[in-house]
Formats: sequence, structure tokens, C-alpha cells
Amino acid sequence: MNRRLHIVGYLAVIVFLAMLPMMLSVKYFLHLSILALIWVIISQGQNLIQGYTGYVSITQAGFMGIGAYCSSLLSLKLGISVWLTILATPLFAAVFAVIVGFPSLRVKGHYFAIMTLAYNMVIFIVLLNFSQLTNGEAGLSGIQPPPGSEGGLFDFNNRVVYYYFVLIAAVLATCLAALIVHSRVGKILIAIRQNEDLVGAAGITAWKYKLFAFVISAAFAGFAGALYAHYQRFINPEIFSVAQSLDAILAVILGGSGTIMGPVIGAFTVVFLPEYLRFADSLRLIIYGLILVLVTIFMPRGIIYVLQSLLSRVVSFFKPKETISTT
Amino acid sequence: MIEIIQQLINGVAIGGVYVLIALGLTTVFGILGIAHFAHGSISMFGGYLTFYLFVEKGVPLLLAILLSILAGFVLGVLIERLAYRPVRDDSHINAFIIALGLTMIVEGGNLQLFGADQLVIPTGLNHVYKFFGLTMPELRLYIIMSTFVLIVAMTLFVNKTKVGKAIRAVAQNRDAAVLMGVNVNMIPMIVFAISSALGMAAGVMVGSLFAIAPGVGEGLVIKGFAVLILGGLGSIPGAIVGGLFLGTTEALAAGFISSAYKDVIAFLVMIVVLLFRPQGIMEKS
Repeated sequence: MNRRLHIVGYLAVIVFLAMLPMMLSVKYFLHLSILALIWVIISQGQNLIQGYTGYVSITQAGFMGIGAYCSSLLSLKLGISVWLTILATPLFAAVFAVIVGFPSLRVKGHYFAIMTLAYNMVIFIVLLNFSQLTNGEAGLSGIQPPPGSEGGLFDFNNRVVYYYFVLIAAVLATCLAALIVHSRVGKILIAIRQNEDLVGAAGITAWKYKLFAFVISAAFAGFAGALYAHYQRFINPEIFSVAQSLDAILAVILGGSGTIMGPVIGAFTVVFLPEYLRFADSLRLIIYGLILVLVTIFMPRGIIYVLQSLLSRVVSFFKPKETISTT
Repeated sequence: MIEIIQQLINGVAIGGVYVLIALGLTTVFGILGIAHFAHGSISMFGGYLTFYLFVEKGVPLLLAILLSILAGFVLGVLIERLAYRPVRDDSHINAFIIALGLTMIVEGGNLQLFGADQLVIPTGLNHVYKFFGLTMPELRLYIIMSTFVLIVAMTLFVNKTKVGKAIRAVAQNRDAAVLMGVNVNMIPMIVFAISSALGMAAGVMVGSLFAIAPGVGEGLVIKGFAVLILGGLGSIPGAIVGGLFLGTTEALAAGFISSAYKDVIAFLVMIVVLLFRPQGIMEKS
């Protein structure tokens, strides 16, 4: 029953997201929804390493930058098809993640967090200063969306089409994350979070699994970066700074870390909440910070747990299963 | 040779500022295990407050700095009571999220109160001392001297006073400290008060040496964490050595390799140190 309830819940979310473009009258909200779906991919990656494995990595935006710049430069300078470059970005990010992850996963806890923070800083500074390639602060413009049928069903210049494209990508990423989590690998990742020494004592080489989680999280971020670049058609280093990596951590924690739906809720929260606070103008940052502090104090396990406990109350109140799908 | 010594001197001035930031971070980390990310923004608040009191209100510079440091004490106590204490028993990542929230609140507060302009505290200390072909701006000399005084005062406080002993006891073993009658509710407050006051002092130095502006605090706190990694988390001697090491590395990198990539080199050095000595340069393995 519980498993069926979960599947119904997932389907409800997908159906809701698929209907979203028809319900949104304001164009700007469609734009934000696309960004939020891209953030879903980033957060699912972050959740694998942070939520399941228990290693807080602060470099998700850096990997996103690698993905965005690789895909943009390959298509702009070498004229390679955008489809190919987008599909190749997870590989680039993954290769980079293997190189930096292999040594840094030897350290734990805060050391690992700060080391990854340093990687993000290094990537950011290189993007900013290596202007022969990245065009520095001015950034790259004229990036093309993936080619499709002009004016037709697959015209990626159309925002609605791009929305569905990103939606499919986000659903696939979430499914992949769910598959990993429910496999033997996922169980080992959770075991590493709970007691890494015990995992080692059980004869499992923990570092391989940690590296796997780190590399997958980087691949997700790189892929999301490419989707972002070909959507915005303009990138500069600013969006790949540490602040964005912190947003990825926020998305996981706010939504509910170590759950599959948590990062989805979290991603939408970190994209939409600051926008909704625009009315407060210059006080926006202060209010956003206050909300973060209050949410962490009063909902330490994330929004998903609050929703789940509400849901189980409703279910136990009505008993029949039909009421599930309405929530 | 002269050039190297010159860069080393420059590095010591910057390194001193890093030491002050790192001392605040490392004591907080040692006692509470919190990565206090808001420290950089709080430090910027110190710079802004001093600028405001000194330039806009006409308070004498030394008095303005003292008032800012006092404000740091109060702010530290408030932050501990209102923000960190409620999550004290939760997992560390929650405290880190609180720290991020605080960063936004303090950054937003700075913007709201002092605006987005880049400010430099006009200390008027423009004299440059010259000896043996080396140059030493008066301002840097004073900054090196005052960081030295603050570091010595902090070390004496932690090592020689009763409260300092209690702080070290809580850092080593919280449960045992409780059994020995240490008031574990007071200690975090004291630690945050001192740490914020040191941070505010560092902010004044950054404001007079370089500039204060939105976003500077973030860079500063990241450097502070890099120092912590170099010296070993929670270690006070480690923070001092690590800060000076990072400052001089950065100055040498800027002087001889590339000033645009000086931070990259500093971080790479940090990463390499971490790989070979994961416990920091000061700790024994």
C-alpha cells in the first residue's frame, strides 16, 4: 500500500508538471519553471552525494559551469551539433569529477566540504580570468538551442517546447537517482553515511562507492549546466559561483535530504521563493535568510516530511485509498 | 632577494587579517563544530560600522573601532542565542544552513544600512617607511602590530584565564566539562562574542587596507576556512601559522606568478597540503 501510494504521488507530480504550461498565464513563470526543472537535476545530483552518502560537496555550480562552458564552446567554436554537445557534457563533468574526487574523498566531513568549496572557487576564477577561451566576465553569447523543426512541434526556440524537453530530462534524472538509491549501490551509500568504518569492516571498498556518488552528482550538474546554457543562450561566470552551490545544498535540505521527492520540492523552492519575495525589494535578502533560519529550526527534516505527515493524517482520517490521488 | 622579502612583508599584513578571521572561525568550530559561514559578513559589518561612525558621525577613529568591536561582542551573543542554540542538538548540516541564512541576513542588513558602494576607511596613515630598499607603508605596519596584539591577547585569554580553560575543556570533551561544573550554556555565548569581535576587528583592517563592498565577506570567510584546513580545524596555533602561510603564499604568487590567479594558487596549495597532511600542518598525525 505504501509503495503504491508513493507511485501515485510521483505520477501526480509528473501530471501536474506536464499540465503546468497550460495553467500558467504569465510567461515569466514558465521561464522560472524551466529554471526550477534544471535545478531539480542539480539537486538530485547534490542529494546523492549529500543526502545519501553524507558528504557535503560545495562545488555543484562549478560542475554546472564546466558543463555549460564545454557544451557552449564546442558548439560555438567547433560547430559540433548541439545535441551531441549536450549529451557529452555529463562525460566532461564526470571526467573532471574523477580527477578531483579521487584525492579529495580521502578526507571527511568539513574538510571535504571546504576542499570542494576550493574547487568551486578555482573553477570560478579560471572561468573569469581565462578570457581567451571563456571571454571572461563578459561571458559567451549567441549560444544556440538544440536544432529541431523550425516553428514545428520540436522548435526549441519555443519556451513551451523547451519546458517539456527539460521536464523529460528532469524526470529521467530523478528516475536514475531513484534507481541508484534503490539498488545495492544505494544501500551501500546510505551505509557509508551511517557508518563508514563499518562498511569498510564489512569488506566493501567504500571509496569506490563514494567516488561513484560524487561523479554521478557532477554528471548531473554538468548536464544541467548545458541545459541552462542552451536555454539562456548566454552564460558568464557569475552564475557558476559558490553562492549557487550553496543553493543546491539549500534545495536538498529544505526539500528533505535523503529522499527522492525532497530535492524536487527544494529546487522549486529555491527558484520561486526569492522571486516571490521581490515585493519586499531591498529587504528580500534579509527575509529569505530569516525564512531559511526559521525553516531549519522548525522543520529540520525538510518540507517533504511536513507534507508526508499531513498526508498520512489525511489518509488515516478518510481510510479509503481514493483520497490519495487528490493530494 | 629584496623582492622576495618585500612580498613576504606584504604577505604578513594580509596573513594577519586571515589569522584574525580564522581565529574566530576556529574557536567556534572547536567548541560547537559549526562551520560559521556568516563570519565574513559579520566582519564586513565591522568595517561598515567603523566607516559610518568615523566618516559620517565624526567619532575619532580609535573610538569608532572600539565601539565596533563592542558591537561585535553583542552581535555574537545575539547570534548564538537566537540562531545557533535552537539547532545545537541537530546534525551539523542544519547549523550550516543556519549559517547561510545568517549570511544572507547580515549581508542584506549591510546593504540596507550602508548601501552597495565600495567603501575605504580613510585612516590618513599614508606615510611610507623605507629601509634597505624595502618599503613599508605605515598603515600595514599598524595592522601587523594590532593583529599581533590581538593574537597574543587571544592566546593569553584561552591559555591563562579560567574561562579560557573552560573553553578548551568544552572543546576537548563536552560531557566531561559538564561533569566538572563548566556552564556549557555560557561558553558558546562567550566564544561567539569573542569570535565576532575579532571578526569585526578584521573587517576594519580589510576596510582600511583594501575596501569593503557587498560580496567581499564571502571571499574572506572562504579564505578563513582555507586557513582552518591548513592549520587543522579547531586549532588556535594552527590558525596563526595557517593564516600567515596563506597570506605569504598569496603575496608570493601575486608577485612572481600572476595576480589574477593568486587565489587559485593559494587554493591549490591548500588542496595539496590537505592531501599529504589531512590533519593540517600543525597537528601531529
